[in-house]
Amino acid sequence: MKEILLSTEKLSKSFSNGGTMQHVLKNIDLQLRKGDFTVIMGASGAGKSTLLYALSGMDTPTLGTITFGTHEISALSQDELAVFRREHCGFVFQQIYLINTMSVMDNVLAAGILVSKDKKALVAKAKELFAAVDISEATQKKFPTQISGGEAQRVGIVRALINSPEILFADEPTGALNSKTGLDVLDTLTKFNEQGQSVVMVTHDMRSARRGNRILYLKDGVILGECDLGTYVHGDSQRHEKLSAFLRDMGW
Amino acid sequence: MRKCFLIARSNLRKSKGQTAAILVLVLLAALMLNLWLMLSTDYKANFERYHDQLNAEHVTLSVDGDSEELQNSLAQMLQRDSRTADYRLDSCMHMTGALPYNGGEMSSWFVFLEKQAALTRSIGQIEIVEEGACSSGVYLPMLYKTDDIAIGEPFEISIGNHKETYTVCGFFNSVMMGSHNCVLTQIVLTADKYAALQAAGYAPQATLCSVRLNDPSDALSYEADMKSAVSEQYPNITMVSNCYQIVSQSRYISQMICSGIVSAMAFFVLLIALVVIGSNIINYIQVNLKNLGALKAVGYTARQLIGALLVQFLGLALLAAIVGVGLSYLVFPTVNGIMIAQTGIPYAMRFLPLPLGITLAVLGGTVALAVVLASRRIRKIEPIVALRSGIQTHNFKRNHVPLETAKAPLQLALALKTTLSGIKHNVTVCITMLVLSLVVVFSGLMTENVIADMEPFLNLIVGETADSCISVQADAEDAFLRAANADSRVEKIYLYSSLNVSHAGGAELMATLCDDFAKVNNQDTVFEGRFPKYDNEIAIAAKYAEENGLAIGDEIEITANGKQEPYLICGFTQISNNLGRDCLFTRAGYERLGTLTSTSYYINLTSGTDIDAFNLAMKEQFKDSVNTTINIDTTISGSASVYVSLMTIIVIAILALSAIIIVFALYLLVRAMLNNKLRDYGIMKALGFTTRQLILQTAASFMPATILSAAVGLTVCACIINPLTALFLRGIGIVKCTFTVPVGFIIIAGICLVLFAFATVCLLSLKIRKIAPRALLAEE
Repeated sequence: MKEILLSTEKLSKSFSNGGTMQHVLKNIDLQLRKGDFTVIMGASGAGKSTLLYALSGMDTPTLGTITFGTHEISALSQDELAVFRREHCGFVFQQIYLINTMSVMDNVLAAGILVSKDKKALVAKAKELFAAVDISEATQKKFPTQISGGEAQRVGIVRALINSPEILFADEPTGALNSKTGLDVLDTLTKFNEQGQSVVMVTHDMRSARRGNRILYLKDGVILGECDLGTYVHGDSQRHEKLSAFLRDMGW
Repeated sequence: MRKCFLIARSNLRKSKGQTAAILVLVLLAALMLNLWLMLSTDYKANFERYHDQLNAEHVTLSVDGDSEELQNSLAQMLQRDSRTADYRLDSCMHMTGALPYNGGEMSSWFVFLEKQAALTRSIGQIEIVEEGACSSGVYLPMLYKTDDIAIGEPFEISIGNHKETYTVCGFFNSVMMGSHNCVLTQIVLTADKYAALQAAGYAPQATLCSVRLNDPSDALSYEADMKSAVSEQYPNITMVSNCYQIVSQSRYISQMICSGIVSAMAFFVLLIALVVIGSNIINYIQVNLKNLGALKAVGYTARQLIGALLVQFLGLALLAAIVGVGLSYLVFPTVNGIMIAQTGIPYAMRFLPLPLGITLAVLGGTVALAVVLASRRIRKIEPIVALRSGIQTHNFKRNHVPLETAKAPLQLALALKTTLSGIKHNVTVCITMLVLSLVVVFSGLMTENVIADMEPFLNLIVGETADSCISVQADAEDAFLRAANADSRVEKIYLYSSLNVSHAGGAELMATLCDDFAKVNNQDTVFEGRFPKYDNEIAIAAKYAEENGLAIGDEIEITANGKQEPYLICGFTQISNNLGRDCLFTRAGYERLGTLTSTSYYINLTSGTDIDAFNLAMKEQFKDSVNTTINIDTTISGSASVYVSLMTIIVIAILALSAIIIVFALYLLVRAMLNNKLRDYGIMKALGFTTRQLILQTAASFMPATILSAAVGLTVCACIINPLTALFLRGIGIVKCTFTVPVGFIIIAGICLVLFAFATVCLLSLKIRKIAPRALLAEE
C-alpha cells in the first residue's frame, strides 16, 4: 500500500453567486497516494479545478478538512498557505503563467530561491531539469514571449519541479497547446512520474487522462467513480478501452 | 464626439481611485496657480487702487520748521518742477520715536497731525476705520491694532526722548504713512492732545509736503531732486521722506514672499500632475492594449481613441481647476490675514475673471499637451497585432539583474528588476522627489535661519544689530562717548548713523556712517570688496550698482547739503532696509558733504545688562542732549516677528502640501504598477510568495529612484538654495544670501523623506492582500 500524501474529509466548497449559494464541492473524502499519477476528470462545471485549488492550498474549503501528511492545511492563513505551496507543491497551469518580464531561467530561479538558499545547487538543478525537458541554454536566456507555447509549458514544468515538490498539480497542462507540443508535455509529466514524482492532473482530454494510473470522475461536486488503470505503458490499447468503458459508465 | 464620451465614461468608471488622485493633484495646482495670480495681479494692484481712492501722495517730505518763508520756498520749488501735478503743505510736528508692536517695539519717524487737519487734507487722505466715543486721544494706523492697543485703552508712545500716554480713540488707514515700512508713520491727535504736544515741545514743528506727480514712476528721482534742492537752500535741515515706489514695494514684501513661494509650488504641483497623467496614460495603453485593438478593429480611429482620453483628462482637469479656483477663494482670506499684518492695506476680495481664465487656460493647455504626447502610441497600434497581444510592452534587449548571478537577496533582486524595467515610473518618482527635496531644503534653511534662530535672517535683512542705539546731539557727543567708554556695562560702542544722500543723476540713497567699520557686528554686510576705510570711499548696494551699471573701482558723485563730491566704490552691500538703495561711508567720508547735527551710536552691552535700564540711565545723565534711545532687541523682535510668523506658516503649509503631493503621486504610481503587475503578483502568490514579501518587493522597487533622486536633489538643492533664495529676495535688495545650510537637518529630512515614501508605498500596496491566486486561475 502506497503512503498517503494528502487526504480530505467531508471537503465542501460553496460560492455565493448573486445571493444564492452554489455548492461546487460536496463532502468529498479523498486520499492521494505517493507516486500516483492521479487524474481528475469530469464535465465542465463539475468542480475539477475547484478541487485542485483546494487540494493545493490555492483556495480554502468552506467545510471539511484537508490534511497533508500530519498537518491540516485547511486551517492555515493565506501566508501560511503560501509557505505550504512553495515547500510542498508544484504547479503547471493551462495558461502556463510565466512572468513575462523575467527570463526563462529567472522564472525558475525566482521560485527556487524562495525555498533554497543554495543558489549554486539550485542553478545546477535547474539546468539538469532544463536538459531533461529539452530546453537549450540559449532558450534559458530568452523571455517567455520569445519562446513557443510548448517550450513555455516545459519551462512551467521545470519551475514546478525546481523545489522537488511532494505533489505536482497540473491544471489542464495541454489545454493551450497544439497536439504535438501537448504530447511532449504529457511525455515529460509521465517521465517525472515514472521517476517517483506524485502528480495530480485535471483534464477533460482522454489522451491526457490515459497517462494517469488513477482516474477520479467528478460530477456535480462529488466523486462519482474511480478507475485504476495501473502503470502507464506506451501503446497499451487495453488501457484505452478500460478508460473508455469507465467514462461511459460515468456518463461521459 | 459621442463615441469619445462613451469611452471616456467607461474609462472613468474603471479607474475611480486614479481619477480621484489626479483630481486632487490638478485641484491643488489650480488652487495655487489661481492664488498666485490673485496675489501677483489684484492684490498688488490693490495698493494702486487704494492709493487713488485716498488721493495719496507720490512723494512725501517732512521738513523741519513751518515758517511762512520756508513754506513759500517749498511751494516755489514744487511749482517749478514740471513733474508736479498737485501738492499741498501742512503744518505738523515730527520726531523719531517708538511704539509697542508685536510684543516688541517699532521705531519710525512720526508725523503728528491734528485730527481735523488730517481729515481735511485733499492729498494723502486718511480713512478712519474704527472710532470710539472718546474725544481726547490718539488715532493710530490700523496696522498697529492689537489686543493690547484697542479703542479706549491707554497707549504709551515714545516721542524722541519722552514718553507720552494717550487714550486710543480710533484707527485709520493711510497709504503712504500707515506702516513702519513707509519710513514715515502718521499719528493723528485730537486737537487738545495736539496742542499739548506742541506746548511740551517734544516734537519740533514741521512742514509736511504731499506731492502728486503727473507720472508716478518719476517719484524716486523727484524725491532725490527735491531733497537735494531743499538741502541746497537749507543746509543741515532735518527732513525725512518717502516715495511711491519704495512704499509700494516695502509694504508688499510679504506679498512678494508669499506669491513667490505659491507660484513655485503651483508650477511644481502642475509638473507632477502632468507627469503622473502622462504616466497613467502610458500605463492605460499597456494594460488595455487588447481593448484598444478591439476598438480599432470595430472601426474606431486613433483620433477618436485619443479624443476619448482628451475628453477624460481635460474634463477632469477643468472640473478640478474650477473647484481649485473656488477653494483658492476660500483660502485667500486666511492668506490675506497673514499678509495684512505686514502690508496694513485692507483688501476686499472680489471675483477675478482674469486669474480664472489664465488658470483654466494653463491647466487645460498643459493637460491637453500631456495627453496628446503620452497617447501618441495609440496611432501605432495595429488591431490584429494588439488583439494577439503581439505588441511587447517590455524591453527584452536586456535581462536586468539575472537571478543566476545576482548577489542581492531574492526580494531585492526582484525589486531591482521591477525598478530597471519601469523607467517611466522612475522618472515620475525622480521629478516628485526633486521637487520635494527643494521644499525640504528650503524649509530647513528657513527653520534654521529664520524660525529657530532669527539672527542670520536679521543680519541679512536688517544689516547691523546691537543691543542699544542712542542718538545724541553733536555738541554732547564727546561727553557721551567718554561716559559710555567708562561704563563697565558697555562692551563696544561705535558710530552707526543713518541719513540720506543722493547719487548725482541717480536715486536717493540711505547712507550709513561708521567711525570704524571693523567694529560693526555684522561683517557680512559688505559681501564683495570691503568696507570704506578712507574718506573718498563708498560701499553701495549691489542691487543699485547692478541697476546702474556700477562696478567696484568706479567713481560716483554723491550730493548732500548742497554739496557734491566724488567717491570711489570699494565694496557692495546688501541691506534690505531701503530695498537695495543704500550706501556706507566713513564718518570722515560723509563730512566732506556736511557735518552731523546728531549722531547715533550702536552699543553692545555686557551679558546680563538690562538694556532699558542702561538707556534710561544715559537719558537721565544727558537729558535733552539724547534725542532717542532704542532697545534694538525689542524693536527687532517687534518687526521681525511678522516675518518669522509668516515664514513659520509658509514652512508648515509647504511641508503639509508636499506630504499630500507625495502620497497622491505615489498612490497613482502604485495603482498603475499593481494594475500592470496583477497577473505577475497572482503567479507569484501561486508559487508561494507571501503578501508581505510582495508588498516589500513593491516598496523596495521604488527605493532606488527615491533614494537616488532624494540624494541628488538634496545635494543640488543644498548647493543652490542660497543663490535661489537671493534671487527670491532680490526685490528687497538681497543679491547674495549666506544662510547656513543645515546639513544635519537635510540628511535627517532626506532619510525621513525616503522612509515616508517607503511607508506610503507599503500602505498603498496593501491591495496586494486582495490578490488571490485562485482568481488568477479562475479568470481563464
